[in-house]
Amino acid sequence: MTGSGPGPSDAALREVGGFALALDRSYQPGTHMWVQLAGVGLVRIGMDPLGVETSGTLAQLALPAVGAELIAGRPCGQLEAVKFVGPLTSPVSGTVQAVNQAAVADPGLVERDPFGAGWLIQAELTEPAELDAMLADPDEITAWYAARIAEYRLSGAIAR
Amino acid sequence: MLRVIDFGRVPPLRSQTLWHAVAYGVSAGQPATLSFARPSGPYVCLGYLRDAAELDHEYCRANSLPVYRRMVGGGPVYLDERQLFFQICVAAGTVSPARRDAMRVLLEPAVTAFRAVGVDARLDGDGEICLGDRKICGHGAGQIEAAVVACGNLIEAFDHDQATRVLALADPVQRDETARLMRRYVTATPTDPAAFQAALTTAYASAFRLAAVPGQLSAAELDTVAGLDQRFSDARWLAGPARAAGPGRQGRQVKVRAGIWTYAGQVGEDVRMVASVVKGRLDRVVLTAPGMNGQAQAAERALAGVPLARAADVLGGLGQPGRELAEALADAEGRLS
Repeated sequence: MTGSGPGPSDAALREVGGFALALDRSYQPGTHMWVQLAGVGLVRIGMDPLGVETSGTLAQLALPAVGAELIAGRPCGQLEAVKFVGPLTSPVSGTVQAVNQAAVADPGLVERDPFGAGWLIQAELTEPAELDAMLADPDEITAWYAARIAEYRLSGAIAR
Repeated sequence: MLRVIDFGRVPPLRSQTLWHAVAYGVSAGQPATLSFARPSGPYVCLGYLRDAAELDHEYCRANSLPVYRRMVGGGPVYLDERQLFFQICVAAGTVSPARRDAMRVLLEPAVTAFRAVGVDARLDGDGEICLGDRKICGHGAGQIEAAVVACGNLIEAFDHDQATRVLALADPVQRDETARLMRRYVTATPTDPAAFQAALTTAYASAFRLAAVPGQLSAAELDTVAGLDQRFSDARWLAGPARAAGPGRQGRQVKVRAGIWTYAGQVGEDVRMVASVVKGRLDRVVLTAPGMNGQAQAAERALAGVPLARAADVLGGLGQPGRELAEALADAEGRLS
């Protein structure tokens, strides 16, 4: 699949500390991965702008094959930025239904549109209850995001 | 404790698999480790996610140059016995989740070591270890399970021609330009390797506040080496991850060092451009555009020194082919890795 997919509506988008945040999806705080329902038992997975920013300029991206099994907390791909290759961690368990080939061909898409055309994986959930452990309440998401931005700024991980 | 392992002179394959085994060991609980190795002969090494087609495999085979894919980042590189490799490997939780920060922490001790042996090195704004504007240390990093490893090298002598020749470059003009920029912007720093090794040990021990202790591989790590020898020798491993077709105007792009690259692209059957880019400006452009009555040569002259962002203004004068080349060049800048 290479389609761009719908991004968040204007009403769902916020700016927090200079970073965009979409409130129409769930987040896994430790990995900066988001999950959005895309149908019955289907989700789209992507990386939030803070995760992108702390990665540096994205150079290469590898994603699993269609049909591959995802396990929450385990690698679901690899990302290279600033000559550093590291794993992308799956926030949920499931089976890969599609990967965003446009993002694989042009990882810059993830930087330019992390909540829309820069999605990474579409998967069928095998453990839907895992979503319950993610941040989904807009106020909680916003508070977590603001705190993480402040923490990163304090440590110098992102520009002040 | 900072375990320090000197593998000495080892076969090319082992100059990769030994330190990858260290990473798996550190992930499994071995202490942070600084290791050294020198390959006993030349070979070519490809970054984990890079396209194997970036290399001229026929040339490598004909010249007995093995090709291996490493598990850390960076581009395809030519390596030989005149390079001393070093690797620093720590638990992933030791460094910042922000990769730029992590890279700085992992590379700054190497800069300290270069300076300790009289090389006026610095970590530049692009994260490269440089002497003036020349890169003096190839580096790459990655997370392997729960360990982070960064590797680099002391280049005692560098074969710029061979480093260019192993790349798959169909256009001879681009090959010449790549070699020219490589000679200009990549250089060796011949210094006493034993002194550098000692300085690195001191610098990394100090940076991580650990006591350096000579060590060796555990039995489990030795088993891992054997498995990695097999994995790295497998053609499927060398082929790497499946790659998506890129968007339209791709062309061929070669990065010499951060901010320095060449690009070759073609529009239609006969309009072709080779561009050399230095820090955001066109350093040299060679245009082949039969039938344009000298316009191409005028454009070449007009493009020299022009910021990339303004290339379209000049190339647009060549009509639709020029506009397409300008778009391709802009795409190439966006893809730069």
